[in-house]
Order: sequence, then C-alpha cells, then structure tokens
Amino acid sequence: MLSFIKAESFKLSKKLKSWLGPLLVMVLVLIAFPLSIDISQYDLDKFYFSIIVVSLLMTAFVATEGMFEEDFEDGSLEQEFLKEKDFYKLVISKIFVYVCLIGIPIAFIGALFSFANGVAIGSFGRVFLLLSLSNLLLFNLFAFGNALSINKGAMLGVLSSLPLALPVTILLGRAIRSIQYGDGFFAVTTLMVGIGLMVSAIMPLIISAALKTHID
Amino acid sequence: MKLFSAQNITYSINENKLFHNLSFEINSGEGLHIKGGNGSGKSTLLRIILGITSPSKGLIQSYDQDLKISYLGHKNAIKNYLTPVENLELLFGGDELNVAFEWLNSFGLSHLQDELTASLSFGQQKKLALIRVLAQSSDLLVLDEPFVGLDQTTADQINSFLAQKISQGVGLVLTSHITPMIDCAALDLGANNA
Repeated sequence: MLSFIKAESFKLSKKLKSWLGPLLVMVLVLIAFPLSIDISQYDLDKFYFSIIVVSLLMTAFVATEGMFEEDFEDGSLEQEFLKEKDFYKLVISKIFVYVCLIGIPIAFIGALFSFANGVAIGSFGRVFLLLSLSNLLLFNLFAFGNALSINKGAMLGVLSSLPLALPVTILLGRAIRSIQYGDGFFAVTTLMVGIGLMVSAIMPLIISAALKTHID
Repeated sequence: MKLFSAQNITYSINENKLFHNLSFEINSGEGLHIKGGNGSGKSTLLRIILGITSPSKGLIQSYDQDLKISYLGHKNAIKNYLTPVENLELLFGGDELNVAFEWLNSFGLSHLQDELTASLSFGQQKKLALIRVLAQSSDLLVLDEPFVGLDQTTADQINSFLAQKISQGVGLVLTSHITPMIDCAALDLGANNA
C-alpha cells in the first residue's frame, strides 16, 4: 500500500495543474465572492461559512475531474489489473493522496479565510477539522462519479454524482451551525467521522468494480 | 510446463464473431505468434489470455495463479508529464531499476533522460514502454505489436532478447504483422475467420 501512496503522491506532485488549480480556485472564490456582493462586515461573518461550503464543493468537484481518466487513457489501469487483479489498493491510495495533497490544504485555506473574516480564532481548529472531513466525503463521492464515466468524459460522471454531495453539504451546514451556536459539535463531528470511515472503506470497492467494467 | 490453455474460445461483438472455437496452449520456453489482419481480434485475444476481457464462449485456464506476466499493449502505460528516468523510477526499484537504466542506455535514450516523455518521438516512447517488459523478471511475456515504430537495430535487439528469454524458459505470446525472427508457433486469426 505504501508503494501505491508513494507513486500516486509523486505523480500528483508532478501535475501542477491538478493540485494547484483547485487551491487557486478556492482562494479566488473566497476572495471574489465577498467583494462581489454588498454585505457589511457585520453580516459577512454570518454568511462567510456558506461561501466556504460552496467553494469547498466546487473545488472538490474540480480537483477530482480526471482522477482515473489519465490512467485509463495511457493503459496504466490494465497494467495495474494484471498485477493486483483489482483496483482497491490503487483507488484507496489515490483518494488518500488527493485528500492529503489537495483536500487538506483546501480545508486549511477555508479555515484561514473564516478566521480572517471574523470567525473566532478558537474555532479555527474546529472549522479545519470539519472542512477536512467534508473533503474526505466529497472526494470519495466525486471519485465514484469520475470512475463511472471514465471513457465518456469524466466530467459527466462527476456531474451525475453531484446529487450525492448534497447530503454532505447539509451535514456540513449543520456542523457549522453547531460551531456558531456552540451546540452539539462533538455529535456532528462524530457522525461525520463515522460516515467518512464507512465511505472510505466501501466506496473504493464500488469504484474498483466500475473501473474493471471500463477496461473489460 | 503448461502456462495457459484455451479451449474453444469464441469472441463476438454484436453477434459478429471475431474468432471462434480457438484452442491452443501456451507453454514455458515456447513462443506463440498470433497473426491476422486489422480487426481480426489479435489484441482482444491477448486481453482474453490476460483475463482483462472475458470470452463470449470457451475457457481459458491458467495453471499457475502466481504467474508473473509482463504485458505491453497498444497503450504504452507511460506518463507524458514525467521524464524517462522518472517513469522508470515509478515502475522499478533496486536491481530492476539498474537493468532498466542499462536498457535506456542500450536503446540510445540516455541523452533524453531528463526530457519530458511528451517531447519524445513515437519510436522513442515505444522503446521506453518496452523497457517496462525488458527490465522485469517474468514467467510470461505478452506483447501486442512490439515492433511497431521501432528502427531495425532496436527490432533486432528485441528479437535477440525474446529468443534469449525463450531459451531461459520464459513463455511468449505476441501479435505482429512482421514475422518475428524467433522460433514461434503461429496462430492465424485470418484463417480462423475465413
């Protein structure tokens, strides 16, 4: 498994557009959105979380586009299948690397911007944790969408999995309310960790089956 | 030693039979040259042997589940945004990486080792893809049109390498429009379709 993670990290780090692009999109949206609407600073700290949630959804969407497409196009998936007979390790490693190299930095940027826009500094860690957990869920879901339509334009698959991301957004909204009003943060976070663990274990199995169908 | 056997393999696409009732064996220390025109199903047959594609009818039996297979298909499985050296480092480690570097040198690619693979010519990319097969120790080599895009010197090197591997007891299955300069049994899909 370690060799998979090492290889995927190396590949992703060499694809500047793939990891830097989503981070820049996140920063741009977080800067541009408040500038483009007429909300006073007093109101902004109330609304800013919503902007972060939408930005998170968009950047996760962009980051996972083409996640498996390149390996499918250049024949790496076939080689992988010959070695391992399935794609479980590859998928789980890929999602892990994407979450670590793109998802967590995005969560950090989100938390940093929320602090810069009036959210109490004590909430920084909580916001960062929630955004990281949300990214774990979103990356798994969009990776599934990507694998579904790998040879028919990966974006189509990501779009088809977009409705699955709505419950994550609702959950994240509830979690953020718990930070704002100091109510039930632990319960919501535990729920997100639980769902995150389940999705991270099950989704790679489904994605692996979808990829196998495509190379057949 | 028997590595694979195929019994009455048939493959159809939309009711059109690409090939039908093919039976053959793949043994260690022997080569099998799959011949046939464009679209006769050579690459599909290789994918069936490898277990990537399922046959419409018939049975492929592998006699060793731990068989180490090296495969080069139509797709090169190399990353265009990496250099040749980085591509090899991604695939190999230890002794195999040293062997891969020797092949890189032998194929005359060492002066391009720090260039992006995307900037290499088709033939140079093919050579790099072949190193994946050449540097790996395996029990069976499966090659889909290995000579396409290669100059005569490299084709001779590959022929000599394959002959050496067969003499060492490695099994070989290849498709090619060019008759390889090695002693191989032939399976003609053109004749099967006729």
